[in-house]
Amino acid sequence: MEAVLSNLKEWLRDRKEHLDLFDETKTARQDNPLYIVGGLVWLSWMIVIVSGVILMLWYIPTTTAAYRSIEHITLDIPFGWLVRGMHKYGADMLITCITLRIYRMYFAGEYKKPGELSWMILFASLVLAMISGITGYLLIWNQRAFWAAKVVLTVPTYYDEIPVLGNLGLGRAIAFIFLGGPAVGQAAITRFYAIHFGISAVFAILAEIFFYRTRRRRLNLSPLAIGLVLGFLAFVSFDRLTEMGRWANPNRTPLPILSDWYFLALYQLVKYMPPLWAGIAPALLIGYGMLVPFMDRTRETRPLERPFFFVVGLLALFYFIVFTALIMLNIAVISRDPPIILGVTFVVLALAFVWEIAHRRRKAQRAAQPAPRAVPARPAPAPRPAQAG
Amino acid sequence: MTFDRRRLLQALTAIPVVGGVIAILSPLFRYLKPNDKPWQIFTVAPDAPAGGAQIVGTTRSLAKPWDYFYFTYVQKFVQYDPTGFKASNIPGVAIRLPRKVRFANSQGFVGYRGETDIVLFQRICPHLGCIFNYEPDWHNVTAGYGGFTPPAFERHALMACPCHFSIYDPEYPADPGNVISGPAPRGARYFEFHIDGENIVVTGAELGGIARIEPADAAPPARGGEHTRAPS
Repeated sequence: MEAVLSNLKEWLRDRKEHLDLFDETKTARQDNPLYIVGGLVWLSWMIVIVSGVILMLWYIPTTTAAYRSIEHITLDIPFGWLVRGMHKYGADMLITCITLRIYRMYFAGEYKKPGELSWMILFASLVLAMISGITGYLLIWNQRAFWAAKVVLTVPTYYDEIPVLGNLGLGRAIAFIFLGGPAVGQAAITRFYAIHFGISAVFAILAEIFFYRTRRRRLNLSPLAIGLVLGFLAFVSFDRLTEMGRWANPNRTPLPILSDWYFLALYQLVKYMPPLWAGIAPALLIGYGMLVPFMDRTRETRPLERPFFFVVGLLALFYFIVFTALIMLNIAVISRDPPIILGVTFVVLALAFVWEIAHRRRKAQRAAQPAPRAVPARPAPAPRPAQAG
Repeated sequence: MTFDRRRLLQALTAIPVVGGVIAILSPLFRYLKPNDKPWQIFTVAPDAPAGGAQIVGTTRSLAKPWDYFYFTYVQKFVQYDPTGFKASNIPGVAIRLPRKVRFANSQGFVGYRGETDIVLFQRICPHLGCIFNYEPDWHNVTAGYGGFTPPAFERHALMACPCHFSIYDPEYPADPGNVISGPAPRGARYFEFHIDGENIVVTGAELGGIARIEPADAAPPARGGEHTRAPS
């Protein structure tokens, strides 16, 4: 018991030493654009926080005034369109950069020792950013937001129908706590406002503590890059004025209705699944993301040296794109599609598994043979285990 | 690990500490969820609503088969908040079927005593709570709801949800309103009603789901909210 605890402490201490939240230890690799996304995550987060606080000066969090106050900000108040645009497009950029960084860390094997904790924090930050997104867009009180909130918070009520556990009232309690009542109403807008602000406030303080303790630089981008990002966001805010949508009407669900872009794939998935699974599947996805450093035990970081996890990552990327495309094209034949999707998934995962086994066997055979000195002209040496860390 | 005197004393000390933590947490939990009674952790039974009899329309508006109208039924839930209750709306649809059916579903809820060709469904989707539509022409369902083509015997008016494309058949044999496609786990919920002369009187609604609507929000301004005063 005590030994396990001290091992855990040791593990935590080591991972904390190697913690890298915004690629601030990887500045030497910035010749590759994928290594500036960490800095961009921090930059866009700060843009979102600052513009969000400015928006708070004018925003009114009530069901009757919210929509009009945002309209007022966008159309009447000097540079209100800019602040709102920076907030909205900054948030889109934040989620894009977190996602890109997740894919980079996944395919480059950066989640392996000693990067486990960095990876888990990054993955949790994607979930938190998505929660911030959904709590944030309810605040506009338009149709998209209203129905997104209602759908998302009806999902937990199915946790009360898990077969063996029976009705514990837990799911209903979760929904009630977020909504502040049995329906999406004034209490929900108040609570979403608190959560939306609270998430960024709490984690910004934690990030500050991290930088204070490690004495690292917060933003490792050149002034030119920062200026380009700010200029680009300002241009997009000007060119693509943020949408208002239509005032939330609880008596009418519009057809078609779409969520924000980062939920589209999940939205399509919910169409294909029985609702209890629709509640459990995202939890399983998050669970996979959080635990993948402990499942992928090899020391290999190159994707082709760990075929199974490489294919899982490719499949996730593929489904994200395909599901998003399907929902935009309004295609979902629920009696036809799920068997195809399940079949493709099963076959691809099985093939990936076979590839993994074959690859490991080949590697073991190569290790068992004496080094092939008879062929000196061999261009590349047999893949050695990559150095740890 | 040995269980010596020190450990025993630690365990004994922990009991009042844990009790104190629970005593502090219980009101905090009720701060988040005020419809719980003191010391109750989760509400297992949904809050029981009270609706009462409400006339929602007349049979005159349902002269021909597949005629329909939308209506709203108001319920009140007991709430441990200052007003003591919370009102909520249930949007519904009344439909004239081409033949008489027993208006009872496979969940055992009986909406009408005897046989009826007028049926009343709650329009809150039993899947995730969106408001589904009555589509008088099934071609609209195929075109707008993901490409579902109903089998030959169901090519009549259907009900379809814009969110996740659950399709309901108001005339489904032995279970009117049952789901025929999509992720919904059950058919559309019923209203309990009787017909009093020409009036259709709703007396109750099948329970379930949290996806109700607060009436304060049920009146959006005209033109989708552009440049009109908000109702207050």
